[in-house]
Amino acid sequence: MVELELLSCFNSVISEEQIQKNIFNCPLLGNNGRITVFPKTEQEISEILHNANEHQIKVNIMGGGTKRGYGGVEDSADLLLSLEQYKGVVEHSPSDMMITVKSGTTFKELQMFLKKYNQKVPLDPAWPNDATIGGVVAANDFGPKRLGYGSARDIVIGLQMVYPDGTLIRTGGKTVKNVAGYDMNKLFIGSMGTLGVISEITLKLRPLPKCESVILVFFPENNFDDIQSFTCNLLDSVMEPSALELFSPALAEKLTGNHAYMLAIAFEDVESSVRYQADFVKQNRPQKSTITILEQVKAHQFWDSAARIQPNGRNEAAEAKTRAALKIGVKNLDVLKVVKECHLHQDSLNLKVNAHGGLGHGLCKVDLTGAKEDVAAAIDSLRIFTEKLGGYAVFTHLPLVLRQQINVWGEKPAYFFLLDGIKTKVDPNRILNTGRFVGGI
Amino acid sequence: MVTKMVQINLKTKDIHISNLAKLVSGPNAILYKDEDLLAYDCDGFTIKRHLPRAVIFPKDTHEVSQIVKYCAKHNLPFLARGAGTGLSGGAIPLNNEVIISLVRMKRLLEIDLENRRAVVEPGFVNLKLTNSISDKGYYYAPDPSSQYACTIGGNVAENAGGAHCLKYGVTTNHILGLEVVLPNGDIIEIGKNGIPDAPGYDLLGLLTGSEGTLGIVTKITVRILKNPEAKQTVLAYFDKIDDGSKAVSDIISSGIVPAALEMMDKTAIEGVEAAAFPVGHPKDIEAVLLIEVDGITAGINDQINLILDVCQKRNVREVKAARDEAERGRWWANRKTGFGAMGAISPDYLVQDGVIPRSKLPEVLAKINQISEENGLRIANIFHAGDGNLHPLVLFDSRIPGETEKAIQAGSECLKACADVGGSITGEHGVGIEKKEEMRFVFHDHEIQAQTDIRDVFNPDYLLNAGKLFPAPGRCAEVKRELK
Repeated sequence: MVELELLSCFNSVISEEQIQKNIFNCPLLGNNGRITVFPKTEQEISEILHNANEHQIKVNIMGGGTKRGYGGVEDSADLLLSLEQYKGVVEHSPSDMMITVKSGTTFKELQMFLKKYNQKVPLDPAWPNDATIGGVVAANDFGPKRLGYGSARDIVIGLQMVYPDGTLIRTGGKTVKNVAGYDMNKLFIGSMGTLGVISEITLKLRPLPKCESVILVFFPENNFDDIQSFTCNLLDSVMEPSALELFSPALAEKLTGNHAYMLAIAFEDVESSVRYQADFVKQNRPQKSTITILEQVKAHQFWDSAARIQPNGRNEAAEAKTRAALKIGVKNLDVLKVVKECHLHQDSLNLKVNAHGGLGHGLCKVDLTGAKEDVAAAIDSLRIFTEKLGGYAVFTHLPLVLRQQINVWGEKPAYFFLLDGIKTKVDPNRILNTGRFVGGI
Repeated sequence: MVTKMVQINLKTKDIHISNLAKLVSGPNAILYKDEDLLAYDCDGFTIKRHLPRAVIFPKDTHEVSQIVKYCAKHNLPFLARGAGTGLSGGAIPLNNEVIISLVRMKRLLEIDLENRRAVVEPGFVNLKLTNSISDKGYYYAPDPSSQYACTIGGNVAENAGGAHCLKYGVTTNHILGLEVVLPNGDIIEIGKNGIPDAPGYDLLGLLTGSEGTLGIVTKITVRILKNPEAKQTVLAYFDKIDDGSKAVSDIISSGIVPAALEMMDKTAIEGVEAAAFPVGHPKDIEAVLLIEVDGITAGINDQINLILDVCQKRNVREVKAARDEAERGRWWANRKTGFGAMGAISPDYLVQDGVIPRSKLPEVLAKINQISEENGLRIANIFHAGDGNLHPLVLFDSRIPGETEKAIQAGSECLKACADVGGSITGEHGVGIEKKEEMRFVFHDHEIQAQTDIRDVFNPDYLLNAGKLFPAPGRCAEVKRELK
């Protein structure tokens, strides 16, 4: 379809200034669009999709653009649907601890709004200033506090979806419990925009903790037995850390200046409880370890910088060095092995590697920087290592040229026909985020 | 071969039963005589009944798969059943199904405390899991009131809740992996090794709560939790129900996340005090709140004090804390046996399961009271107030002609009242056959179709548990007229 025809499909739906050419074009990461549309209402999203579907126009969806390097094997679709002008709070009921927001709202905007009410969305995704809540939910992003609060799948209670043909579908509702029909929310959380455009999201909220601290325990390098026994001791105790995250020495140095394996242990509760738990850590830490305690604002700052480590697709430009990021899932305690292996790759392959992972939930985030061939070799070898542990590795950021060579999602699962069947039912013309997800869905 | 089996074992002319019998091992692994089938004509929802074609008891996943393959091949409707404690009729064989009972598959396969997970078979009873790990200081969080009998497989099917899901979430928040026999007999494993976020659509989340319409779960990996260091349980008595329900909202908005926050109204109190576990609640109050907080010992008192403050501001008559574990146990027994206790004050009762944003509690309780008066039936309320999950218990006498229908009508009106304030028709009991039509209170036709489209991917021939969960298509216009 020539560009003029393409434009003619949408100028009846939205105004001229909401359609732009050659904007956000990022050859390095792909997932672009020949033209970009900026809907401001749900109605506009619906009509754009409806028209696209009628004319079999391929659509890429974008929020803040932080995950542009995550999945997808095409440089460009016909249309890039940007949600960055579709933002704001739809409904907030402080006493119900619930909020409904438009998907283009950035995570930071959402938290700032809630702060006035002493509430928060209990998620800690990467790049909160840029990432939209829609993107966080669509990619099921998370952070170290997943241990204490769960992930988007535990917190999202309702969605308003725009299906590929423009139909509006509500899933879930505005109650914390709900088993009416299938739990369709789950289908869309983490579906990478391949089943519909998330329009509105209803989330469960938590009170801001009255007191919080993070205790950083540094272990002299190679003393893995100490880390393991201390971790097991803490996990088997009645302490209630909201994060128990192991950082590789390089990453610990970047965040604190101290080059050693580092456990970051977060406590959030009333003050007496936080003190008591901090004392437990002080008393039980291994002899050779050192600790730093960060409280309140300092604790926030620590987690905030930890959320700005991995590549941000919004800002990435072609550089001499190649950057990659991985999400690795293993059994909880195997996080120790993964972080260690990542650290070892740093020396053997002349790469910069940052790795951290949650010992209470088994998920790690790793990023690597180096020559293209070295990065490709390292992520491949990390995937093999992870699979030997019975886990998986997904490449959450890679330049387009590498994504075209390496399977971002790993092998298709045996039940792939179900995933494909769902995609076919919901998006029969395969117009949405084509090829962005598992098995080329 | 087939005829031989019939001659040896079974006195049935149904060739399918004879063939199915060959697929399972062990004595009495299939029931087919009417007198044996009678016990399986309904589950915890007793208003509709139908006899199954047979009840078959596989011992492992392979046998389940073989049975399913046989049924699929011969076009026989089938469904899975756990302990049969479901309250919405999800396991009732409306289509003369072959019931695949999973009660023989009741092993605890693995406990991995370090990685905080356990693997069980679907017939494993909920409470047994906590009992198996409590000596090490761990427990399994979802605690439906029927936990002494209900199975974890059934919990997965219904996405069961319980009193403590306010802080810890419902079943779906605790399921890490499933082995599933699909309606074509294929065996799949999702959430391998219990590792979260397996790449792909979240089938784990979709299957949990699908009421046995997408597949049969044959192995479950669950998350287990460490017992909190301390617990404190408090009873608060209110003269006015309105004060009680406002206190619920105030407690939550004060920044506390209680482990449980339960409420009973006057009629419910009358019932529980007349039944097997009375604890001496005053008869002249309008509401009692049962509040539990847990966590680090050092922080418990701060939480309790905040709760006391809130209750005082809402004119509480009396607040008391449990003196010891025994007293706490008695209070919980009194609450958890609350539904059955209605038997002490009424020949029959019907449990409903609406859910609302908790700030709407006063409004909806008043509406339920009005429904009760209009229908001339008493309605007791026992519920998970913190979650906004109401359980109106409609009391009636089925011996009086027309009263059963009236009770069903009153129950449905209660659900409408919940839906009208932005709530939902079921918080934890499921839709089953009971609330199929009420699905239209919360979903448009095309939204229901979006769900049945997903069902068709898994269950294209619709042999597995047909006629559940969704209203029958084609009746839309008719039902809408009724609602007006």
